[in-house]
Amino acid sequence: MTVIEFQQVHFTYPGEEKESLRGIDLTIESGSFVAVLGHNGSGKSTLAKHMNAILTPTEGHVLVHGIDTADESRLLDIRRKVGMVFQNPDNQIVANVVEDDVAFAPENLGVPPEEIRQRVDAALKQVGMFEFRQHAPHLLSGGQKQRVAIAGVIAMQPDIIVLDEPTAMLDPQGRQEVIATVTRLCRENGMTVVLITHHMDECVGADRLVVMSDGRIVADGSPAAVFSQVELMESEGLAVPETTRLLYELRAEGCELPIDALSTVACADAIAACLKHSR
Amino acid sequence: MLKDITLGQFFPGDTIVHRLDPRTKIVLLIVYIVALFQAVSWWSYALVTLVTVLAMTLGHIKPKNIFKGLKPMLFIIVLTALLNIFYTQGTPIVEGWIITWEGIGRSVQMILRIVLLITGTFLLTYTTSPIALTDGLEKLLSPLKRIGVPVHEMTLMMSMALRFIPTLIEETDKIMSAQKARGADFETGSLVQRAKALLPILVPLFVSAFRRADELAVAMESRCYHGGDGRTRMKQMKLQGIDYAAFALGAVFLAAVIVLRHFGL
Repeated sequence: MTVIEFQQVHFTYPGEEKESLRGIDLTIESGSFVAVLGHNGSGKSTLAKHMNAILTPTEGHVLVHGIDTADESRLLDIRRKVGMVFQNPDNQIVANVVEDDVAFAPENLGVPPEEIRQRVDAALKQVGMFEFRQHAPHLLSGGQKQRVAIAGVIAMQPDIIVLDEPTAMLDPQGRQEVIATVTRLCRENGMTVVLITHHMDECVGADRLVVMSDGRIVADGSPAAVFSQVELMESEGLAVPETTRLLYELRAEGCELPIDALSTVACADAIAACLKHSR
Repeated sequence: MLKDITLGQFFPGDTIVHRLDPRTKIVLLIVYIVALFQAVSWWSYALVTLVTVLAMTLGHIKPKNIFKGLKPMLFIIVLTALLNIFYTQGTPIVEGWIITWEGIGRSVQMILRIVLLITGTFLLTYTTSPIALTDGLEKLLSPLKRIGVPVHEMTLMMSMALRFIPTLIEETDKIMSAQKARGADFETGSLVQRAKALLPILVPLFVSAFRRADELAVAMESRCYHGGDGRTRMKQMKLQGIDYAAFALGAVFLAAVIVLRHFGL
């Protein structure tokens, strides 16, 4: 089932001449984990902001569950379906206590108090922050804050969760925590996840990888298939994972290797098999 | 250095005073202030002081913390006392002196009044978390919504400001460190020079505060914030037995002070 559909979307920021999105066609399937990769200024954040009607297209349409995001009377319906997590965790936490912040969205939706309590506890457990529910947000680490922000979105019970560079301001451990949490939400809870990032290693676990450059989609497919297009990726100014890079270089030297072994283990196995074969 | 600033000065605890509903405490503080200004005689001052000390004991508030809070007010206290000593008419303590017995009495009462007033407010802020305080205020002021006062918006702004104080202090610290690393000097020079040195801190701080506000607004809208209409709260405030008991004691206290005044005691 399609949950988000972009139809020939063009977008120009007010006061700018250059189009930030130049004809995007994209459909996102329910329950999938889609990563959107691109360097700064590629339009990937602009794309994300179209998914819950923070921005609406200057041309074309974005449909969320069949609702046009340009329809202002349905704004709340769209936003409760599509949860959004932003880059800076400090700027999206509204309350002084973790559990109060997680309760913010259901409170806005007028959910009865007992149900809010249940939702908040469940959401905090899902992101592994339940024991921190009474803490002040500013005393948490970046990764923990970002997990609280994710819990705040889950408590709204959306179908889709869009994360706009959630790891850009985090240290490696925080990044790892956030990506693991998001992956689990998709795999175990069947949530549709759209992850906007510029770290290619965060895309490896996704079902689908969309590469953006200069307001267009330049590649779309499974991560293995997309990273295999090493020349294309490099011409777009994007590095490929080190495993792919290694396999690519070895192939250029004439070794018979697959290019789509993404994980370190798969890559090592492939090289070992190749060595055994050549003996 | 900036991290030492504690705002709201809430001391967490689990005493009877802590457990009272914030609304009860706000109302009782108003009752207390009214009673304090009704007090004219030594008897009534003694009663108010007794009640204050009792409340402090119940709330496990150390006198040390109260004195710390009184320090910034020292100037006003001393000034009031001096003015009262010198400007009250009556019988001089020594023939020909300007200082009168009445003046000394008045100034002691004024000192007591100011100290008790501040102590009373501290009792509220020391035993109530800032969030509980804003929540209580919102509930108490909610009847004003009917005449168009944006109560929800005002209290939301208050709690949001409290939420961002530590974040902005951290940011100020960072900016100051960055400027010091490039040779800025905030500690020496005349007052004017030091004030001028603060300008390069304020500009980036304001720019970043506005950017934060912008992002926060988008994040709030993304979480379906659409004003106070139709909003529910997870934590429901409920008045309990101790609240009603506290109201009753407050009423007795106020009545006692008024009665004392009435009999001129």
